[in-house]
Amino acid sequence: MNVVVIGHGMVGSRFVEDLIAQDPHAHVTVLGREDTQPYNRVLLSSVVAGVTDPALLTMSAARGERVRVRQGIWATEIDRTARTVTDSSGTVHRYDRLVLATGSQARIPDIHGIATDRGLMPGVTVLKDLSDATGIVKRISKARRAVVLGAGVLGMEVATGLAARGLSVTLVHHAARVMERQLGDAASRIATGSLHRLGVKVVTETSVAEAIDRRGVLQAVRLTDGTQVLTDMLIMCAGTIPETSLARRAGLPCERGVLVGEDCASPVDGNVFAIGDCAQPPEGGTGLVAQGWDQAARLVAAWTGRAVARRDAEDDLTNVVRVKASGLDLVTMGLSGKCDHGERDLRAVRISDPAIGRFVEVVVSHGLLVGATIVGDKACASELSAMYTRMLPVPSDPAHLIIRPLAGMTGGVAAKSPKDMDNADTVCNCNTVTKGRIVAAIDDGCTSVDEVARATRAGTGCGDCRAVVGELIQACAADAADSGDKVPALAGRGEG
Amino acid sequence: MPASHGAASPRDTIPLGGAVATHCPYCALQCAQSLQPTPGGRVPLEVTGRDFPTNRGGLCQKGWTSAEVLRARDRITTPLIRTADGGFREAGWDEALTLVGGRVRDIQTEHGRDAIAVFGGGGLTNEKAYALGKFARVVLRTPYIDYNGRFCMSSAAAASNRSLGLDRGLGFPLADLGGADAVLVVGSNMAATMPPFVAHLAGVRERGGLIVTDPRVTATAKLTHDGKGMHLAPVPGTDLVVLLAIAHVLVAEGLTDTRYLAERTSGLEAVQRSVASWWPERAEAVCGIPAEDLRRAARILASASPAQGGRGAYVLTGRGLEQMSQGTDGVTAAINVALLLGLIGREGSGFGPVTGQGNGQGGREHGQKSDQLPGYRMITDPAARAHVAGVWGVDPDSLPGPGVPAVALLTKLGTSQGPRALLVHGSNVVVSAPNADRVREALGRLDLLVVCDMVPSETALMADVILPVTQWAEEDGTMTNLEGRIIRRRAAVKAPGEARSELWILQRLAAELGVERGFSDNPGEVFAELARASAGGKADYSGITYERLDAGEELFWPVPGAGHAGTPRVLLDRFPTPDGRATMIPVSHHDPADDVRPGAPLYLITGRVLQHYQSGAQTRRVDELNAAQPGPFVEMHPLLAERLGLAEGDIAALTTARAEGLAAVRLTEDIRPDTVFMPFHWSGVGSANRLTNDATDPISGMPEFKVTAVAIAPAPAAQEVLTS
Repeated sequence: MNVVVIGHGMVGSRFVEDLIAQDPHAHVTVLGREDTQPYNRVLLSSVVAGVTDPALLTMSAARGERVRVRQGIWATEIDRTARTVTDSSGTVHRYDRLVLATGSQARIPDIHGIATDRGLMPGVTVLKDLSDATGIVKRISKARRAVVLGAGVLGMEVATGLAARGLSVTLVHHAARVMERQLGDAASRIATGSLHRLGVKVVTETSVAEAIDRRGVLQAVRLTDGTQVLTDMLIMCAGTIPETSLARRAGLPCERGVLVGEDCASPVDGNVFAIGDCAQPPEGGTGLVAQGWDQAARLVAAWTGRAVARRDAEDDLTNVVRVKASGLDLVTMGLSGKCDHGERDLRAVRISDPAIGRFVEVVVSHGLLVGATIVGDKACASELSAMYTRMLPVPSDPAHLIIRPLAGMTGGVAAKSPKDMDNADTVCNCNTVTKGRIVAAIDDGCTSVDEVARATRAGTGCGDCRAVVGELIQACAADAADSGDKVPALAGRGEG
Repeated sequence: MPASHGAASPRDTIPLGGAVATHCPYCALQCAQSLQPTPGGRVPLEVTGRDFPTNRGGLCQKGWTSAEVLRARDRITTPLIRTADGGFREAGWDEALTLVGGRVRDIQTEHGRDAIAVFGGGGLTNEKAYALGKFARVVLRTPYIDYNGRFCMSSAAAASNRSLGLDRGLGFPLADLGGADAVLVVGSNMAATMPPFVAHLAGVRERGGLIVTDPRVTATAKLTHDGKGMHLAPVPGTDLVVLLAIAHVLVAEGLTDTRYLAERTSGLEAVQRSVASWWPERAEAVCGIPAEDLRRAARILASASPAQGGRGAYVLTGRGLEQMSQGTDGVTAAINVALLLGLIGREGSGFGPVTGQGNGQGGREHGQKSDQLPGYRMITDPAARAHVAGVWGVDPDSLPGPGVPAVALLTKLGTSQGPRALLVHGSNVVVSAPNADRVREALGRLDLLVVCDMVPSETALMADVILPVTQWAEEDGTMTNLEGRIIRRRAAVKAPGEARSELWILQRLAAELGVERGFSDNPGEVFAELARASAGGKADYSGITYERLDAGEELFWPVPGAGHAGTPRVLLDRFPTPDGRATMIPVSHHDPADDVRPGAPLYLITGRVLQHYQSGAQTRRVDELNAAQPGPFVEMHPLLAERLGLAEGDIAALTTARAEGLAAVRLTEDIRPDTVFMPFHWSGVGSANRLTNDATDPISGMPEFKVTAVAIAPAPAAQEVLTS
């Protein structure tokens, strides 16, 4: 079977790797527009933040005789009748099955002055490719100020990352709430507060109207409310647009993305598939790599005849949105930020704790977690993500999901002091020796830890309880001293 | 340490006076003991801890009470033969061995040599393990031999051999841990399973560097509390993801030992690429551990590593990571972390699996494994076959080829293509193997089941013939502990009745089957032959003698010659791989074979309690241990219990794809609310391994004991079931 994959990004490369590993008959040709090996695009914001070396983003890719990767080459035409793809070098590739993994483009908002004859004005950039990230990193050394447009996940990561590198950062957002698609009012306010704390100035309900240059280089931006903000960089994080032009030219139905069914196949051509950001599955594209990887895995499973769990579109469990920003723990999943939970059989429980920058909301339906919003509670965030993606059952009162971290991280009951222990409490776990037996041994004349050990075996395993045994010996000795001198002791206690 | 006799030497010599220096019958720590015979006493000897580099005089409750098993009320003291009415009758050795020999011959005649199978154990001495492997290959000439170590160390062994070219357990003396700044423990609960081990963690705890990965807040996890380190509690089945994320952070933040990686490893680039897709925020949603905690763990390890100026770091793995259908890859990921940090083959740092069974190390070196010959040699290697056949005085071509791993072997029993007879030594498979009901069915299909045991274990009770054997304090031999140190087991008392060593039994059975020479009942002679057979192999014992051990020499293999002082720390100069470098192998994570789903929405994990050992055949016969842990139970979080309508002490019904079990509920906050824990020491309705999955790792054959999807409900009227 000859497979042509268009796109060698995170999803395309994962698909090819899995297919080659699991289908011994597959021969794959991959066309990758960027002249690099596949790399981890999700971590570009970490490169900008200076916490990840760009050289270490390269991801694994399939190798061997059955896979041909053409880097720096893109598809120019699909002929679905002839089942061929023509690439930018003029080569024609025949396919039995065609997989589109063309990804998406950064949306470039309509801002006066950003476009020049040679592309974007120096200082103005998007953050979509490795070259964008390295360009930003290069500019940071000379920059003091930055404006980030768009307070979605990427914009928040870039803004906090630049602020942590010492830049004065203004985050400009068109809506009233940051991450308005995922966050409700209260959560958004708390997230905004956290951004302020991390040194990011947040300006909402406005956008960038104009880029102002000095000798061709960005110097300031003018916002739609008229304010001017001096800046050395404008980083546009205003969302993405699925890359569908090739598919449209090939007559494949597209809306926002390339329309596909649950099987990732086009409704008009069973030999053409789309996965990742370019695709529009029944539940809608989320722009998250987890969705694309899930599609890749399910497509390989279907082609190799392994069972694929049936699922409803509503069961997409990959839509966990996680902001990667040091000092800002923000995770949403499933139903979040929506205020109209009433119409379904839902229980929504929340705490809002702005003083410490914490907000947690969980949404439960029929004993399962169907949505959550977590700001500022990392233990809760990780537990709820694990629970949501596996559909693990929740406690009968959803409030328990919020008011304690779930992984037994409470450390249990505080250890009792030796004096406060009951006689039935075990002191030596290795030999199941109770306080009562140790006290009895001391009463029988043991005066050292070693003597108690010989009499009871306490402390002869891991040795961790030897300190406790020592304290018990001292406590008993003190008691004995007290009882040996009764009258003053009683008098003394009476005063207390 | 307390309670040791004042004159006891730290070395393993024969003490003066009446006491006998030996080691505990149970786990791989092999705590040193002094046995003082007490003629006329209720039990025949008194046990005390003896100072030794591993246990420093300490013993846990199992060790202290080990003498009780010598006089277990139902100790078997004479051969037993199945009667027509389903019971057993006592028999003499001649009758029993003639019967077994005759039936084996008949089955071989009718069905061929492959119709006889052998199942060994990781508790057998090196001498017994060696003799058993030789018996299978030379007398029975069957490929079908494997052992319960497959359930213990196979993933760790496979991964170590694949990446490092060598599997010697820890690869360094345990006491080395004391000097480290960080120790990462992945899926081991040594504070409960081998308590004296904990003393070696005192230094690293003082420095706040103990990191424990376990879904439960185990006794070991609690050692990290109060600023002594970190506890990471992953979703069951995702330990591998924790390691991939730690590796990611090491690479992304430039915390690796670049010089070591360049000089001593190959394959770095592939591993770097593979972990590029496991950034901590992604790992967090899979393993349930906050991204920041994963980063912090990585940084603690890095700052302890020599490359960053630290005092050293260690990565230790246990069954929690290894007993998975991706167990080999899990250990490989742990090795990769250790290699990225430059820890392996360096004094003061290291990697190692914490071996479980008493002779889990030696047991996997001398030919009990389906694909191995003595000296850790592969049975498929012509040179290895020629060498071993030479020592055995047989034609190399007469040696059978590789058999199949334990689960596959047990599954095959009694099927049309499978063995018709099984000889079991030192194993209680109907309690310890996964999907135990199916194992019971398989044993039931056999024409002949012969079990060597000292007590009527659940497996022995299914036998056609039970042969009574000696136990620890009644026999001489050697064991190889978790450090790869060879130690002496010494007899202090005579076995009761007609109990005999397996060495004697194998010698007699060989003769019954026409092989009059080559099997000795003298452990020293067997060891000398083992040493010759291992010469030149990876696990080279050729320079070890009883005399050297009895003189108190501390010998760690390889010891390739009489003048060689042994190898306390391995891999210091080079890795025994074709290019002399450690091989970094990229691995990926997959979900468990039996994953949670509607209808089975919870995780069942299994493990041990301090007071019991493995299938409990020994420890369930000690009153003191039974008083502390009387029976099966299921541990769960109060939040889960409340939702299920269960309270402390209620009987829960646990249903998996294989069986339904019943167990009393114990409530604890020390477990994730999505997970329940059952110890696996019991048989019957509360047997954990009736529920576990027998899916296996494709490389090691290790079953996926450690994660099973389960449904739980209150058991109506279960009280009567349990007490009936």
